[in-house]
Amino acid sequence: MHTELAVQTSGLTRDFGSFRAVDGIDLAVPAGSFYGFLGPNGAGKSTTIKCLTGLLRPTAGSISILGTDPLADPVSVKRRIGVVPEDLALFDRLTGQETLTFVAQVHGIDPATSKHRSSDLLDLMDLKAAGTTLVTDFSHGMRKKLSLAAALLPAPKLLFLDEPFEGIDAVASRQIKDLLLSFVSRGGTIFLTSHILEIVERLSTHIGVIDGGKMVAQGSIDQLRAGAGSGKTLEELFIGLVGGDARVHAALDWI
Amino acid sequence: MVRILRAFAWLRWRMLINSLEKTGARDRLERFSIAMERLGPIMAGIIMIPSTIVLAIVASAGGYGLGHGDQPSMFFEAVRYILFFGPIASIVGPLFLPAADRTNPVRLLLLPIPRHTLYAAQAATALGDVWTILTLPIVLCVPLGLAASGAIASAIVALAGGLLLLAVVVGLSALTTSLLHLIVRDRRRGELLALLFILIIPAVSMLPGLLNAERHVRGAARHRPAREEIHLPAWAVRSGAQIFALYPTELYVRSTRAIAAGDARTSATRLAALAMTAAALHALGMFVFARVLESPGGSGGRRTAAAREAWARTLPGLTPGASAVALAQVRLALRTPRGRSILLSPLVMMGVFAAVFLRRPGALDVGGVALNGGLGFAAFTSFICLVATLPIVMNQFAIDNAGMTLALLSPLSDAEYLSGKAIGNALIAFPPAGLCLLVAIAIFRSGSLALWSAIPLSLIATYLLVSAPAAILSALFPRVVDLNSIGRAGNAHGLAGLLGMLSFVVAGGSNVLIILAATTWLKRPSLVPVLLIAWCVIAFIISRLLFVIARRTFAARRENLALLLSDR
Repeated sequence: MHTELAVQTSGLTRDFGSFRAVDGIDLAVPAGSFYGFLGPNGAGKSTTIKCLTGLLRPTAGSISILGTDPLADPVSVKRRIGVVPEDLALFDRLTGQETLTFVAQVHGIDPATSKHRSSDLLDLMDLKAAGTTLVTDFSHGMRKKLSLAAALLPAPKLLFLDEPFEGIDAVASRQIKDLLLSFVSRGGTIFLTSHILEIVERLSTHIGVIDGGKMVAQGSIDQLRAGAGSGKTLEELFIGLVGGDARVHAALDWI
Repeated sequence: MVRILRAFAWLRWRMLINSLEKTGARDRLERFSIAMERLGPIMAGIIMIPSTIVLAIVASAGGYGLGHGDQPSMFFEAVRYILFFGPIASIVGPLFLPAADRTNPVRLLLLPIPRHTLYAAQAATALGDVWTILTLPIVLCVPLGLAASGAIASAIVALAGGLLLLAVVVGLSALTTSLLHLIVRDRRRGELLALLFILIIPAVSMLPGLLNAERHVRGAARHRPAREEIHLPAWAVRSGAQIFALYPTELYVRSTRAIAAGDARTSATRLAALAMTAAALHALGMFVFARVLESPGGSGGRRTAAAREAWARTLPGLTPGASAVALAQVRLALRTPRGRSILLSPLVMMGVFAAVFLRRPGALDVGGVALNGGLGFAAFTSFICLVATLPIVMNQFAIDNAGMTLALLSPLSDAEYLSGKAIGNALIAFPPAGLCLLVAIAIFRSGSLALWSAIPLSLIATYLLVSAPAAILSALFPRVVDLNSIGRAGNAHGLAGLLGMLSFVVAGGSNVLIILAATTWLKRPSLVPVLLIAWCVIAFIISRLLFVIARRTFAARRENLALLLSDR
């Protein structure tokens, strides 16, 4: 059966000098899926996202985002995606409302639509009162929510989220999860990295695992579970793939 | 205590070495950029070696002269004047050092260290400050000189005095640093302080030039009778002298002089005063430091900005994206102390110049530049408005910090982004320049219309010629900055700033040549606007061509820019 792919890479490689951060990965993210991209610290998750969103040029390999090569036509791709990057990408000296206005303007959204969508998003993210506060005075959680609101405002077809739940309180986390699930149910695609495996397990339909810059597993959750043996949690599956460190029990006996 | 001080000394040493060794450069150009940035401090370090040697020689000669009964000793007088600046530098210095150089003391609370030891560790960092390092050879070599002349007892007293003076300098530095931490803890207060300092410094730096200008006023003023000297009342002179005698370096100098002259009582009195000053400063320093440790990590209400429809509009002639970039740039300038200073400091200067002009109508020499009437005044001040934008214009991408990532992720073409930045910078530079021009017209109301019109045309031509090189330099030499900073942490990359300044001078100079050609050689001032309009057209074409290079440079460096900002 042919599945339309929202993100597809072939041999995606990225070097930093002599260090290979991403080593020939082949991603296949089906359109309309919630794709959890997992890996231990320093595995290459953020570098992969940066390559996919056009912040970094791959050293080798090809990328297709929503059927378009982002290296050949970056503006067209950026019009159809939303990104919550690692550093949250916000202007410190704009207010919450102004940040959304900026995003609307660069996406060519008319002022009336921009106003309507901004109001909805600020309301949903519980940022209405902070709409006139400068981002520099936002807490980390508020910044994260604003960054997500900015990514959602142009109504993208594909969302890249780098650790979106880090530093978010339980209530906001629940709201965001519901929002993301609703986004996927309406045909959107999400590419998410997170260290919180429970969240990935609950939300994702598909999972990719990267370790040392290489893809070690990819597929739907059911496929991966079937491969690993039934009854395994995602955590057990993940540790099995990237290798857990059992030495911790033996060492540090002085603690 | 010694163990902890040693640990802090090691910490600062490793931070220095790591900053030199581990540059994190991604390519040759970044390595070059980082090397250029570090050249200034390295050169300063190299210059300090001969300076220290010279100071040591002068101080030794001063001590030796005192020991031989030379009163006053020429070298010791030199020592006196040099030392005078130590306490001043120890107050002003911490205000201008990047905040990163001064460890946040609240973080140290997590360590199992008593508060008085923490204070000692923080105060000890002042021993590495330039002014302390330059004070050290003096206070050590004066006693050496005295000892060499055979006055051993005087040498011991001078050494004690010198160490007390060092304690005072360190105490002042520690107190200023703690006060600064306490003030900037409230963000609004911190920003206000930064703005005040940024505005005051240019005005103060102009004072010598203006005072000099007062002396060089030409024309009728030259033949005026000299004004009567102002005589202060005797009590004011006496009080001033008494207060000055209590200045720490004066206490040290007078104590050393007295002991060399055999007046042990006067010397002991001065030393006691110096010791009391040091003790009082450290007691106060410890008190303020304790307040810093007790106060929360940050205070002050959240800063808000009224929602204005104007910010949501699209600037005429620009795409919505480019317009959004331009308006974001303007808001950055309006909402940061450094940005506000760019907008306000030329106006402060203009106020000072206008006051001088109104007091002494006629020509004014400022650093060798003759400002003839309103035209000169308007040209000078409006050009300063353009040059004042250097910290933003020559680092136009990196000043956005994380905001730049948002721009890079947005569906903006490089051309849109660069044109938005160029227009944004123009919107920051031109309103103050226009205001200077209007004020000059209002004050002077004389001169030919053709020459008045030359000023805005020259500014436009200058900006057109500089905007593309500014984008190229900003892409090649980005610097992560803090526009809330008073000191160099808010400046553009040194090389970008230098080359940017040169480009302003060259571009501005081309207009001067055109004006001179029309007025002096062709003797037809009415031709000035015509020639300058033609020059604006040529500058526009040159600018368009240079922007092709700017776009290519930006495209080639955008990845480095993104990585630089995410690594910050």
